[in-house]
This record gives sequence, C-alpha cells and structure tokens, in this order.
Amino acid sequence: MELKTFRGGIHPPYNKEATAGKATEDISLPVEVIIPMQQHVGAPNKPLVNVGDRVEIGQKIGATDAFVSAPVHSSVAGTVKAVEERKNFVGANVTCVVISVDPNQPAKFTQKRDVSGLSGDEIREIAKEAGLVGLGGAAFPSYVKLSPPKDKPIDTVIINACECEPFLTCDHRLMLERAEDLVAGLKLMMKAVGAPRGIIGVEANKMDAADLLNSKINGESGIEVVLLEVKYPEGAEKMLIDAILGRRVPPGKLPSEVGVLVQNVQTAVAMYDAAAYGKPVIERVVTVSGSGIKNPRNIRVKVGTPISHVIEQCGGMVGTTGKVILGGPMTGFAQKDLSAFTQKGTGGVLVFTEEAVDEAPEQQCVGCDRCLDACAMFLMPNFIVKHARRGQWDLAEKYGAMDCFECGCCSFVCPARIKHVAYVRKSKAELAAAAKKS
Amino acid sequence: MADSSFMVSASPHLKDKDQMSNAMRDVAIALIPVIAVAIGFFRLYALVNLSACVVAAIGSEYIMRKIMKRQPTIGDFSAIVTGLLVGLLLPPTVPFWYAMIGVIIAVALVKELMGGLGFNVFNPALFGFVSLLLISRFWALANANYSLGSIAGVTSATPLTFIKAGALNGLRPGYWALFFAKAGGAMGEVSVLAVLLGGAYLIYRKRITWHIPTAIIVTVFVLSAILGANPLYMILVGGLMLGSFFMATDWVTSPDNKTAQLLYGVLIGVLVVVIRLYAAPTGAVAYSILLGNLATPLLNRLFVRKRFGAIKAVVASEPAVKAVAVSEAKD
Repeated sequence: MELKTFRGGIHPPYNKEATAGKATEDISLPVEVIIPMQQHVGAPNKPLVNVGDRVEIGQKIGATDAFVSAPVHSSVAGTVKAVEERKNFVGANVTCVVISVDPNQPAKFTQKRDVSGLSGDEIREIAKEAGLVGLGGAAFPSYVKLSPPKDKPIDTVIINACECEPFLTCDHRLMLERAEDLVAGLKLMMKAVGAPRGIIGVEANKMDAADLLNSKINGESGIEVVLLEVKYPEGAEKMLIDAILGRRVPPGKLPSEVGVLVQNVQTAVAMYDAAAYGKPVIERVVTVSGSGIKNPRNIRVKVGTPISHVIEQCGGMVGTTGKVILGGPMTGFAQKDLSAFTQKGTGGVLVFTEEAVDEAPEQQCVGCDRCLDACAMFLMPNFIVKHARRGQWDLAEKYGAMDCFECGCCSFVCPARIKHVAYVRKSKAELAAAAKKS
Repeated sequence: MADSSFMVSASPHLKDKDQMSNAMRDVAIALIPVIAVAIGFFRLYALVNLSACVVAAIGSEYIMRKIMKRQPTIGDFSAIVTGLLVGLLLPPTVPFWYAMIGVIIAVALVKELMGGLGFNVFNPALFGFVSLLLISRFWALANANYSLGSIAGVTSATPLTFIKAGALNGLRPGYWALFFAKAGGAMGEVSVLAVLLGGAYLIYRKRITWHIPTAIIVTVFVLSAILGANPLYMILVGGLMLGSFFMATDWVTSPDNKTAQLLYGVLIGVLVVVIRLYAAPTGAVAYSILLGNLATPLLNRLFVRKRFGAIKAVVASEPAVKAVAVSEAKD
C-alpha cells in the first residue's frame, strides 16, 4: 500500500525501541505539584485559590474570561502552599499555584456516563470547562479549535497519530491502550464541528496501533485510518493535512481555512475522558527516555509534577548528563537544571549523556541548499539566518521567517552546524514588535 | 542544585551525521576518474603538477588561517579540492611552480582573504586559473614549457582551436575520441566520460543537482546550433563538462533557488558561446562561470521560493505577523 506524505522533511534516527514496547505505568506522587496559570497559547488565567486553601482533585484553580484561553485544575488533593512566580520549561516567569500533596488521594472520575446523546454545543462546553488544549505540545485551546468561524465549515477531523518526534512513544502507547476511547473522542469532535469525516493519520512504524484502531472502527462509515510515510515532521499540522487530503493551508492561516480540524491522540482521548467521566486535563502520558536515563518508561504524570521527581521515578540519571530536554528532541526545550515541572503539553522528558550530545560551533553557510530541500514550508532558511545576523528583519521575513514553525529540519541537515531556529525566533520577536509599533 | 547546570541550546537537539568534510571528500572522490585519466596520459607531468597544487593549497590555507587567527580547516577537504581543480584546469606542460601561484591566488586571496569558505564571491579555482591566463600575457617566463620526458599528446594542438566554423575541418578530432579520451588542452578536459562519471557520482550523493549542468549544456548546444557552430563539438571540448559539473555547481558561488539555478545555467551557457565564437576560445568557460558568480547575489534576491500554500511568490508579511498569535505549529 502506498503511504501518503508531504514534500521535504528528514529521516532522523527514531530511537523509539527503548520505550515503544513498555506499557504506561503510574508513578508515586510527588510531595508538591507546581501548577502554572498559563500552559497554553493565549491569555493567562487568574488564580482562584489562596495560600492555605484546601483543593480537591480536578478543582478549577485558575480561569479567565478571555476567549483564547483554557482553565487549569488541580491535579491532586492537597493544600495550597504558595501562589508565586516560577520559571517554566521555556525559562519564562509564570504565576503558579504550588500545592502540598495529601498522602492519600481519593479515587475520582470513575463514574462513566453515556456520551452519545451530547449535542455539539455541550461537547464544546465540556472541552472548555475541562481546560482541554492541544496535548501534542503546542497547547492551543481546543475550545477555540472546536468553534470554527461560521463561514468556514469543517468537513474533516484529523487525529494526528504520527508521533514523528524521535524517542517519544506516549501517543503510540495511548493508541494501543485506549484505542476505543480514541475513536470515541474523535466522534465527539466530529459532532462538535459537524464534520462528516474523521481520519486517524498513523505513521507506518506503528502498524500494531493502526490495525487495532481499524478493528475498533469496525467498518463504521466516515471514519478511517490513513497510513503515512515515516518522516519528520509528518505530524506538523499543515504537513499532515497536505499529506492526507492534498489541501495546503495558506501562509498565516489556520486549518479551518481548508475545512479541517486537527487534534492530537492524547487530546482526543482527553476529550472522551472529559465527556464520559467529567475529568479535566490533570494528567497525561509522558515518555521518559534518552541515553542518560536509567529506566526509560512511559508514565502517567500529574500536571505540575517536578521534573526531578519524574526522572527519579525512572531510576535517575546515568553517566555525565549533557542535556535535559522537555518535549521531543527536535522541538523540545533544553533545561538548565531540573527545577521545571510538567505541563499539559509536556509529552517527553529526555536526558542525554554528554557523549550523545552533538554540539559543534557554527560555521559559515556554504550554500549547499540542504536546508531548502529539507524545509517542509518551502522557505529559504539559510537566507533567513543571513539577514537575521545583520538585523535585517524585513528581509528575514522575505525568505520566510514568519511562516517557519521551527521544526528544526534545516539545522538537522546543516553541514555548517547553524542553529536556524534561534535566528527565526529572534526574527519573529523583532517583526512582531515592529508590527505592534506601526 | 545550583551547580548542576546542563547544556542549553536552541532546538533541534539531534544532528545529522553528515558534515562539511564529507561533502568535500565526495567532490575529491568524484574527481578520481578525471585525475586517473590525466595521470594515465601525462604520467609525471600530471603527478608533479597535481601534487604541487595540493601542497600549495594546504600550505597557503594553513598560513592564511594562522595569520588571520582562525581555526584550522584543513580537515574539511575544501582546499585540497581547490588545489586539484586548478591543476586540472591547466595544460600538463605548465611549470609546476606557476601552477602553484594559481593555487595560492585561489586559496589565499579569493577564499581566505574574503573570510574563508562560504564568504567567497568567486569560485576560487577558476579565479586562480584566470589569473594565470592574464599573468602569462605579461610574464614570458610563465610560458616556458618544461620537459619531464616526451609523452604523446602533451604538445598536440588543443581541440578548442577548431570550434570556429571552417577551421581546418580535416584535422578536427572525432566526437567519440573527445568523449572517451583525447589529449590536448587542459589535463581535466581529456575525457568527457571521466567528468560525467564524477558528475553522476555527485548527483547520486546529492551533493549537486542536475539543474545547473543541464541548463549550461543545453543552452550551449542550442545557441551554437542557432549561431551556425557545430553544437555537438561545442559541448564536448574545452572543459565545458568539467566547468558545468564541478565549478558552476560550487555551493558557495551559485544561486540557491532551483529556478534561479536554471537561469544561472542559461546565463553561463550564453556567455560561453558568445565568448568562444566572438572573442577568445581559451578560458571561455572560466570567464563565463566567474561572470555567472557575479550574478548570483542578484538571482538570490530576485528568486524567492514560493512558500507552502502561497498563491503568490512573496506574501505580504503583515497578516502573517498578526496570525502568529493564534497559529499553532504542531498539535
């Protein structure tokens, strides 16, 4: 069977063997959780609790009236210890609610209800109240995605089941362990936007998941599994839509422009959990892996768990640690220390030993054009860098700075070791500042 | 905790194993057939000159980088490739010390003085070669042929002299001879086949694409036919193949966009035909590619790739800036 794909991209070593065959497990609770008021794209929440307050599992502890936002809930039962600024995984200061965790946690969200009778509006409201965001990493509020503009009807909902980032296997595990709920979550989303068609896009290195999903779909009309070539970044929203449907989202536009809604595997399962069990987004599956981790595993992690606790639950670090990364190795963030904490969008905690880290000084671009061939957005990364180095931001944009989604393919292939993504981020910040001024 | 500080850098945190030196090593490998033919035909002449050129290349790069306090880059093979190319652009009877002057100009002035690999505007090897052509017009000593023994073909007339219409058609070498091996002229233009083998290897290894060589060769063929020259002969002689595959495709000095590369090839092809037919045949390919190098920055500015999903080639930046707040990279 012919696999679908997009133009450009790379084939990095996937390194998924360490955890792909390991079932998701629970870990012991940390002493405290640190829950940031902003874990999503959009407006930050205001804390709804004060120091000393008792909180229950799933209690809403942060909210705002802004449209593009998502409330946050306590992932544990405990006592609010502090409401203060902490540095998150990208090094930004955010207001966090720090909660001391009770040693005994009551069982919650076990009561299942039938979801077939829910209306589109009800589903949207459930997603909003549950604080549902894109759990693939970008953490865009799902409520906003599920409310497309009236003039842009959605005909297809795509579940992004590519998991094209190397090392990560959390989505793969969830597909194997909760296939039925994933399909149910997809149906809820199709209903919310009134789309007749649902597609689960799976990379061909997860055939076991694809087969299982097919059996759960059981010939139901309108829903299908589409197999995709194993290539990075197959799971980038625009690439995925192009690969599956041959529709290209124009620059600066959202998938709704071409009648599509894309949601990640964990988002769809969380949608189902919210509808069937009334469970907000308070935990997720995280892959902990890399050469510097003693026991690589897939684990269920409460939102706000300190990274140090996550690593300790996986046997700790071995060798001389070079890099600690939150997210995948292609787009994740390198950590200075272990003081950060997991968020809704954290899919991976990777630790690499010094020997496994390949950092070399940047050399001059030699115009080999490998970045052009690798760029899935058809940009000219070498020229973005050239002009960003000179502070020529408008020229950086001429070669595509604003359309870059920072997948990192250009840097991966660059023989001159240039870190294009750093220049792109700088260009975007400068261009946004200039646009605000004018 | 305070002292446990890990490495921090921008994503991605994975890196392809491929490196600059691998690419340049591939170019050196691709030159093996051409070098083998040269040594097969010219024996000691080829060995002495090519060795001298490599020594001059490595030496001048080492000294220049020392003077300019830069990291040594001998490991990247680029100087060695430049040295070999200058040697192959010259006839076998050129004194080795004269060839070395060309290499020093190429590596020390054209490359290192401009800032090193990646900063040069002109292809170093071609600039070095053209400098020698010019110097030899004023410096009689440079034209003194020397002898390392008598070898057939070393002193025969270069096939390039027959390209003007009506010139001594009887003595003109045949197409197949030119394709397989015909001594005369530069060491690197003996065998078209040897160059094509190297070119095919570079394309197979994805070091170059077909765009530039094809555009040059097709343009030369078609324009020659239009202007009444023998098109097949025009593409087989005078290092057109060597220039098209090994020098016009130079990463640093050629445009980056595929459309621009095609236009760049056409420009070079037109210049080759015009210079050969209406000026001097010797060095026509070298002059044409160097002039093409000059057009590269302009071509890079004019031809911006059409972005994914874009209707027009360059989209207005303002909507993109506004949309970034709500656009999601990955889900």
